[in-house]
Amino acid sequence: MGRVKEYQVVGRHLPSEANPTPKLFRMRIFAPNSVVAKSRFWYFLGKLKKIKKANGEIVSLNEIHEKRPTKVKNFGIWIRYDSRSGTHNMYKEFREMSRTDAVDALYQDMAARHRSRFRQIHILKVIEVEKSESIRRPYIKQLLTKDLKFPLPHRVHANQAKAIFSAKRPSTFF
Amino acid sequence: MSATADATIAKFQAQATEKASRYYPAEDEKTPRKVRKSIRPTQYRKSLQPGAILILLAGRFRGKRVVLLKTLDQGVLLVTGPFKVNGVPLRRVNARYVIATSTKVDVSGVDSSIVEKVSGEGYFTKDKVSKKPGEEAFFKQGEKPEKKTIDSSRAADQKSVDKSILSAVKKDRDLVAYLSSSFSLRKGQKPHEMVF
Amino acid sequence: MGDADITASSWRQVEVGRVVLFSYGPYAGRLATIVEIIDHKRVLVDGPASSEDKVVPRHAAPLSQLSLTAHVIPGLPRATGSSKVKSLWEKEEVESKFANSPFAQKRAQLAKRRTLNDFERFKVMRLRKQARFEVSKSLAKVRASAKA
Repeated sequence: MGRVKEYQVVGRHLPSEANPTPKLFRMRIFAPNSVVAKSRFWYFLGKLKKIKKANGEIVSLNEIHEKRPTKVKNFGIWIRYDSRSGTHNMYKEFREMSRTDAVDALYQDMAARHRSRFRQIHILKVIEVEKSESIRRPYIKQLLTKDLKFPLPHRVHANQAKAIFSAKRPSTFF
Repeated sequence: MSATADATIAKFQAQATEKASRYYPAEDEKTPRKVRKSIRPTQYRKSLQPGAILILLAGRFRGKRVVLLKTLDQGVLLVTGPFKVNGVPLRRVNARYVIATSTKVDVSGVDSSIVEKVSGEGYFTKDKVSKKPGEEAFFKQGEKPEKKTIDSSRAADQKSVDKSILSAVKKDRDLVAYLSSSFSLRKGQKPHEMVF
Repeated sequence: MGDADITASSWRQVEVGRVVLFSYGPYAGRLATIVEIIDHKRVLVDGPASSEDKVVPRHAAPLSQLSLTAHVIPGLPRATGSSKVKSLWEKEEVESKFANSPFAQKRAQLAKRRTLNDFERFKVMRLRKQARFEVSKSLAKVRASAKA
């Protein structure tokens, strides 16, 4: 199971005499737990509206589960990320079973390629790319070829790797 | 005055005249600690039933497969080769230095009176006379030492015990070969993962 | 210069319909088939075995946990549903075919040998010795006749 979950957080400004029914704001947030999800909600809302945790309230919070977790899907993710020298927007594609898996893979990928952390990444949008013509990245496109097949040409058996010295050359395919 | 009152007065008078001893121990007297353990008969593994074939792990006969005759007390087992099959005589072994296998031999035909005699006190020790190698022995080094003589009664005991076991063992030719072969670990064998 | 005789390598491929055997992990020793390739390291597998304790639920499995068997379920559509996989699995008799393969028989023999007790191990050793003796005897006979 992935390390991130998807939450739906709904919050609003505290009702006042001037405005007894303040507008509701809803966000889909990827976070490891509900506490972080609420914190991220206030972080993003503060950037967008003149509301902060001190003068606002969370109306509801619930986890969003994947509708079809046994189907392989292609996801497109738009992010904004702060590098050491500036801010960049990015679009990446992932082939996973769920939105949360894709986001998890995104954080791993960003950490590997750009040494970026959770706090430096804003996920703007996650969509499922349904048409294969709409896939933009070649590393996903290559997996969508018809009748895809490939061998596993170099496999190392766990037992073979144990011995330091061996009289026989290992067989690397099975 | 009643009799009971007289008795109490006498008691107090006696106490007043008795002087406390001036001696008292300077250090606390040590009392031996009370032993809370109780001596229970040794509990043997379930696999150590008479007739089971054991693998000896220590001592002169290590690696030999032998037949268990009886469990003695204090973690000691009485085993026999049989002597004719693998050269292991009637012998006492430590139950901890033994692997019990699931194979069994019928030992119901063994004369129980002889087993009783053998497992009794002093059977294995009585003929051991302490011979210190003295000056005489030192000068005799060049000569051939005296050949060990075996007590004929013990040889007879061995024969009578082995007789019925041998007849049971000889029904299976593999079993004879199995008992006469000795156990050793081969390449890749892990004793904790093996079934015995 | 003669024409170079090139034959394509016949390696087992990761492909939809390939029957795989789990060699590690929670489903070790169970059979499944590849339903869809996720990427170069992971596949979606489904193993609708006949007995309850051999079933592999549909999930993404890393290829490092799997070994490819020689069997492929022909005509298995990509990303097809569990019921279709089950019907094709049964029609193709995947389990009995695998059980009759030399690979599976060798595995079964190893598993059996692992459960033998000390005496049974000894008997196996004796029988193997006898078999080896017969082989070498007949080999010596052939050699002697070849020399003459």
